[in-house]
Amino acid sequence: MQAPEPSSPQQGQPATNVPPQQAVPPPGAPVQVAPQPPAHTGPVIVIDPAHGGTDSGARGQSGVIEKDMVLLVARIARYALEREGFRVVMTRNDDSNPSYDDRAAIANAYRDVIFISFHISSTGTPNTARAYFYKFSETPSNASPLSNKANSLPITPPKITSLLGWEEAQRPFTDASHHLADVLQTDLTLRFSGSPAASSGVAARGLRSVAGLAVAIELSNVAVSDRNQLVAMAEPVATAIVHSVTVARPTGGSPGNPGTR
Amino acid sequence: MPRNLKITLAILSIGVLIGLVSLRSLHRRIKGLQENPTSEEQVRRELLATTNSAPTDARIQARIFWAAGPDRIGPVQVAVALSPEPVKRAKQVLNELITHAPTADQRTLPTDAVVLGFYILPDGTAIADFSEALASEMPSGILSEQMAVDSIRGTLESNVPGLSRLKILIHGQEVETLAGHVDLTGFFDLNPPNAEAPSMPAGSTAGSSVKKQ
Repeated sequence: MQAPEPSSPQQGQPATNVPPQQAVPPPGAPVQVAPQPPAHTGPVIVIDPAHGGTDSGARGQSGVIEKDMVLLVARIARYALEREGFRVVMTRNDDSNPSYDDRAAIANAYRDVIFISFHISSTGTPNTARAYFYKFSETPSNASPLSNKANSLPITPPKITSLLGWEEAQRPFTDASHHLADVLQTDLTLRFSGSPAASSGVAARGLRSVAGLAVAIELSNVAVSDRNQLVAMAEPVATAIVHSVTVARPTGGSPGNPGTR
Repeated sequence: MPRNLKITLAILSIGVLIGLVSLRSLHRRIKGLQENPTSEEQVRRELLATTNSAPTDARIQARIFWAAGPDRIGPVQVAVALSPEPVKRAKQVLNELITHAPTADQRTLPTDAVVLGFYILPDGTAIADFSEALASEMPSGILSEQMAVDSIRGTLESNVPGLSRLKILIHGQEVETLAGHVDLTGFFDLNPPNAEAPSMPAGSTAGSSVKKQ
């Protein structure tokens, strides 16, 4: 699957996502070279605004729609990361709704990747943020509970072979994703008081098939009376992501060529 | 006035009179239906509720996990008539979880959700089959869906012994997610070995006192 170009301009992007234009120097003035963002050799950051299209996600009474809000937050995060020199890819940059597998496929096209999925909850303490990693059950998910085999076998974790099953692609990365989610949660808690101290392990479907570090961030919540409360959370969340990715993966360090397909 | 015209007018008058009477009763019936909407789910629950407890079930303190704040769940001790038989007991506590939340804010599952079936396999796998309302009326979000699953898990762990894992079905079918986030294709661990063992309610074995709920 062809991953979208990370830095191509997209239609309908908010102004917050457009890099500041270079001022045109007056004639005769000395030419100033704009400072280049630091070039990272680390992982590709895949940003996933959840939902989209006919799937609106959570809806608030004040008119906040999750699919639109997460796209805005994702664009702000993308700009913040690109400003720091990270290579960023988005799973969607319009009102489309790629399937879970399509989103994972975009991430899995890269050998060294950090997948960050954005959500906005319909419940929870307002103005808080939570980081999640995928928590697998101790029992294999592909065993049918209704089959005789499942009835007779003891509950044992599946063998991890060199070939990674698509449905279990996240399993080898669980500890690393947990670590990243914890670093991210610590940062989020500093910025949004009332947020939990540690990240949570959840069977979040969107993370399961990602073969790389994968976390979900859920902001709280769509029930706010003014959508600007959520918009105001975007920049601190983006800063927290930049900080956490830099702390968790300062120099790449993953097998293969970081940031390459 | 001609005789034929008189007969026609009389027939028309009778017709209008009958129409008015039937229209009034029809209006009354529509009004009654609007005041007492009876969904298929409600009818199903009423039918299930009549078989929910038996006279031999002992009334004991069950631990039901409801929301204990906007982002966490906690146990509440509730006196419920529970069967010693695990499958029936599981249905009873899940029904209690759905229908008798102390307040609306403590509710973790939609009120229209119904436990359609509950099965326990020999290896301790519990299969809970819920109606579509569990998915369709669930507030969307990782947090709300996880709280829903955790409330089911906690309630089963605390009140039904011998369960090792849980599979959640929606109307007999495996679905990908609960309401767009939490993965339902796998199992949820019950009573994991590294977790603190939930305290079972007193009299979880066949009770001596016999009370009907």
